[in-house]
Amino acid sequence: MFGEQQRFVLLLIAPAALLLLLFQVVPIVIGANASFRDWALYNPRKTWIGFDHYVAVISDPAFLYVVLPNTFLFMVLSVAGALVVGLALALLLNRPFRGQKLVQTILLVPLMVAPVIAAIMIRWIFNDQFGIVNVVLEAIGLDGQPWLVQRWSAFGIILLTDIWLWTPWFTLLLLAGLQSLPKEPFEAAAIDGTTTWRVFRFLTLPMLRPVIVVCVVIRAIDAFRTFDIVWTLTGGGPGRSTELFSLYAYVHAFLNLDLGRGSAAAIIGGLIILVIGVVLYRLVDRIAKA
Amino acid sequence: MQGLARWFMAATAALVAATGSAAAQVKELRIGYQPSPIQDASIAMFEAWGARNGVKIVKVPNSYGVYVEKMTASLTSNADQYDVIWHNDDWGQTWAHLLEPMDDVEANKFADKWSMAPVVFANAQGQNTVVPMGQTFSVFFYRSDLVKPEEVPKTLAELVTASKKLQADGKVKFGYVAGMAMNHTWFSWLWSMWGNNCDVLLPAYERDNKKLAEAGWKSGLTEPCMQQTVEYWWDAINTHKIAPRGMPAYDRNEANAIFMSGDAAFTVADTLWWGTFNDPAKSKIAGKIAAARFPLGPNRTRPFAWDDIWGWAIPKSIAPERKKLAKQMLEAMMLDEEGQMKLWKATGAPPPNTSFWPKIAEQDQFMKLLKESVLDSPDKVRGAYYFPQWPAVHKAFNDAVTRAVTGRREDIARALAEGAPLVSKAAQ
Repeated sequence: MFGEQQRFVLLLIAPAALLLLLFQVVPIVIGANASFRDWALYNPRKTWIGFDHYVAVISDPAFLYVVLPNTFLFMVLSVAGALVVGLALALLLNRPFRGQKLVQTILLVPLMVAPVIAAIMIRWIFNDQFGIVNVVLEAIGLDGQPWLVQRWSAFGIILLTDIWLWTPWFTLLLLAGLQSLPKEPFEAAAIDGTTTWRVFRFLTLPMLRPVIVVCVVIRAIDAFRTFDIVWTLTGGGPGRSTELFSLYAYVHAFLNLDLGRGSAAAIIGGLIILVIGVVLYRLVDRIAKA
Repeated sequence: MQGLARWFMAATAALVAATGSAAAQVKELRIGYQPSPIQDASIAMFEAWGARNGVKIVKVPNSYGVYVEKMTASLTSNADQYDVIWHNDDWGQTWAHLLEPMDDVEANKFADKWSMAPVVFANAQGQNTVVPMGQTFSVFFYRSDLVKPEEVPKTLAELVTASKKLQADGKVKFGYVAGMAMNHTWFSWLWSMWGNNCDVLLPAYERDNKKLAEAGWKSGLTEPCMQQTVEYWWDAINTHKIAPRGMPAYDRNEANAIFMSGDAAFTVADTLWWGTFNDPAKSKIAGKIAAARFPLGPNRTRPFAWDDIWGWAIPKSIAPERKKLAKQMLEAMMLDEEGQMKLWKATGAPPPNTSFWPKIAEQDQFMKLLKESVLDSPDKVRGAYYFPQWPAVHKAFNDAVTRAVTGRREDIARALAEGAPLVSKAAQ
């Protein structure tokens, strides 16, 4: 049925395929099954209830008017923020200067910090009584703020944390992209006396576009399912004002112990991200062909 | 081939024999718990018993943040992970059908009757499913170096007056501080609400699920007493400034840090923090703390006490010999006077055996106070509800009051009215 070479290839991919099947496919199938059933974690009756959980989720005003807008806003702003800062740092690091390797290593530190640890750290940094941010503000004569009590300041801190964590990832990939660009167009631009801005605008950015798009696609999909930093920083609060999609699913499945409803929310989120992924991949394809 | 088969059968027989003998002689008990002073002190008693009886006690710590979900998943999947687990009144009914009945633990006769009530811990057959670890309830702590016992606020209004005076005198930065965010609701919202004749569901203080269902799982959020309570905290934070502006987002650790740093005069916290508050290595106010009854709101004149237990339970799914051994250990823990005295001294939580209470109260003023004002009080409140949807109800309640207290004062009634149907819906 299979030639020797094909059998060898299948043998090589078998361990990875098996792991994928056990730890990705099977849980998704179990979750999908639970989403159609009365499946409380404390008492899994597992009676078939059809689309009841799905209807409950998509007709929940909190899901429609708080959770989804928060999730998309977070996705757009965190990816855009980390991209801009990451690109700026990559451009700086692309020029040789003394201590460049040291700076590069220091900039990578956030990438090595576990998100939960980072979130706990940031929560204390912005603590209204002991946090360094308010200490600095008060030292310069400004009022300290209760950062985590208001929706937009809490949301801003979540964004800041995420951008801080993910900027090095953008920097690393974009720096690799910058260093792989051909030198000739830049030398020609220098001979013509082109300004730095025009070089960036008409040479660097267009040539770096495929790398940027791949980074954005991967990161956008990942940002959609962000959980750890939000849960640790605000728990979705105050109230539910910073709740994202992943927290919504988690609260239903594991706080309210309603695995059926939580799974339905997760499947709906999965479908949304699938659509976003397809659109973004088409975009990548179009850019690559262009 | 036959040789291989013989070898396989012999190996299987040896394995079965080894397993059988291991099952017959259990030498290890695994404890699923959350590290905290009271649980550590209770497990120390298990370890002392284990050392005497040749049983290894294996401690398996779990994070508080994921304890219920993780343990529920373990219980429903019949996983053989734990022999004894931390149990709590909040989950009494969620897990009742998954736990081993404890009616045959004779030493439970020394446990506090109120805290062990069937409505909290009994399964559908009316069998008890817990052995107590200690009494866990909160009290109103105050700085004894700043406030004389006769000056301790008895009403919420007096709490404002006393706080403002201490702040004006430059003694403290804030009058009151305590946790307020989700899962820390008890330390601000719930006690002040109970002290104003209010509750999460109506009728107030009712915990019989049949009666709550008859009342349509009606939320107490739209009651005037609840609006008063939320307005009280709004004013305390924004108008009187006796509490930090960040308090609606505080968990108990952040609030306790402020109290222990000496920045606040009053707090509400579990009594098991007594040991930590008085530990000079951790607290700047060690030795300068006392406790009192909760201040009351305008709708209530009789003092009340809130009294619950934390306990230990045994998963129904484990092997009979492990259950038997676990029960022997819990029985011994209940009778371990020396260990329970240590638990009391380390934590400030009254130990599980009530027969030791009078002796402790004779030697210790704090226990005397707890005994008079809480343990022997005729007006007790239960700290949770006892149906599986309680976590969802709790979250819906906290979401609503947090939204109300962090918004504009004139929008409080509207925020509570919008939250009320969500609380009722979560309960059904």
